[in-house]
Amino acid sequence: MTVIADLRAGLTGMVAAAVAGVDDPEYPGVSIADLGLLEQIEVDMAGHARIGLIPTFSGCPALDVITTDVHAAVAAVTGVSSVEVTWLGSPSWSTNRITPRARKVLSNQFTVAVQDRNTPATCARCGNPTTEQSPFGPSRCRAVHRCNNCIEVIEVLRV
Amino acid sequence: MEAFEDFLDHGGIVEPVDTIPDPYREAVFRFIELHANSELMGGLTERDWIPRTPGLRHKIKILAKTQDEIGHGHLLYMVAADLGIKSRSEMLEDLFAGRSRFHNVFHYRAKTWGDQVAIAFLVDAAALASQQAVFKVCSYGPYRRILKRIITEEGFHMRFGEERMLKIAEGTDFQRAMFQQSIDDWWWPSLQLFGPDSRPDDVLLRWHIKSERNEVLRFQWVQKFVPLLHDYGFTVPDPGLTFDSEEGHWVSGPIDWMPLEQTLQQAGPDSARRIGEAAANWEKSQWVRDALNRVAELADAA
Repeated sequence: MTVIADLRAGLTGMVAAAVAGVDDPEYPGVSIADLGLLEQIEVDMAGHARIGLIPTFSGCPALDVITTDVHAAVAAVTGVSSVEVTWLGSPSWSTNRITPRARKVLSNQFTVAVQDRNTPATCARCGNPTTEQSPFGPSRCRAVHRCNNCIEVIEVLRV
Repeated sequence: MEAFEDFLDHGGIVEPVDTIPDPYREAVFRFIELHANSELMGGLTERDWIPRTPGLRHKIKILAKTQDEIGHGHLLYMVAADLGIKSRSEMLEDLFAGRSRFHNVFHYRAKTWGDQVAIAFLVDAAALASQQAVFKVCSYGPYRRILKRIITEEGFHMRFGEERMLKIAEGTDFQRAMFQQSIDDWWWPSLQLFGPDSRPDDVLLRWHIKSERNEVLRFQWVQKFVPLLHDYGFTVPDPGLTFDSEEGHWVSGPIDWMPLEQTLQQAGPDSARRIGEAAANWEKSQWVRDALNRVAELADAA
């Protein structure tokens, strides 16, 4: 039994690595796992993989693309016989699920800041506090801020 | 100016806090203003199609695309305003009064769903190619950084456009005939989005605001779309189009630039209606801005 349990744990690990290799379609180089979208991975004895994801917001237009990409990545793992990708209704996503690594890439590569609940946003370039210009940007999960120090328009990922 | 040009030639990036020569400031401003206006006018066109988009899945995508375009416009107006030539409201007033320009493709009317697909497929690809050519070199820092995000989102729209094109291409005879009509109507406007051949003294090229000559981008676009449309059994409405078998590429027939000229004069087929509707929309949504300003005032007072 322990051998089988080990094999299953190994396969689950490989599936997890495959999901972590899927980037967000709008931020190439930022894994969906690092953005906090990955909630559940279950792989049964028959190699059936169930991936539970949570959206940043339910009307997000990227869900289909992410589903397709995750499906393809997991199906390519040796030992996986079938894949089911589900968008879960709970828990709800929040910015505190974003890993430090993803925050760094968002800031350095995309000039995008991350704002956690009850904390002020800071400029992705100079670190000074920003001022909000609009609660909505090009997407529901982003606000538009401005840094008056370096005169930069900053998008802020927010709850 | 010579030192400044030397700085640009060596890959220098200009930031708003730097000393910027006026001609450069003016050229970058005009360019970003045109881009911002085009995002706004494009977003409004997209919005018109939300109720008429077939299927919930596509409707969600059109909704999101509308928000993307308006959001891009918003970011770009801020970057343009920071150049200190016109404020955001001055830019909008000029746009709604027909005093400033937006891309030629938004001077035409999208009449059918086929047109929407053709726009998502042909026009978005042309716009993306132009933006990529700017992003590659762009010497103005804030614009370059915004473009990086805009381009990844536009690339995402392209995926939708291709998906929709496949669906209509594999559709009924009626759908295919509708799409052929849309290709006939949108081929030339899309091609003219790149503009006439770049002039030798084009400052946008000299100051590394964009990286590629208009005719080169236009040529590349033709190489991509002619074979694609032929593969799906559609025709391209260019009687002068030939294949140069020695060079292995497609060559467009003579281009009539009159329609582009008319759109530049705000006298395109749908210019008056488009500008009028955008202006009316701005007036109708005044209460939202008033409410937001009032909330901000109350927050400041508290």
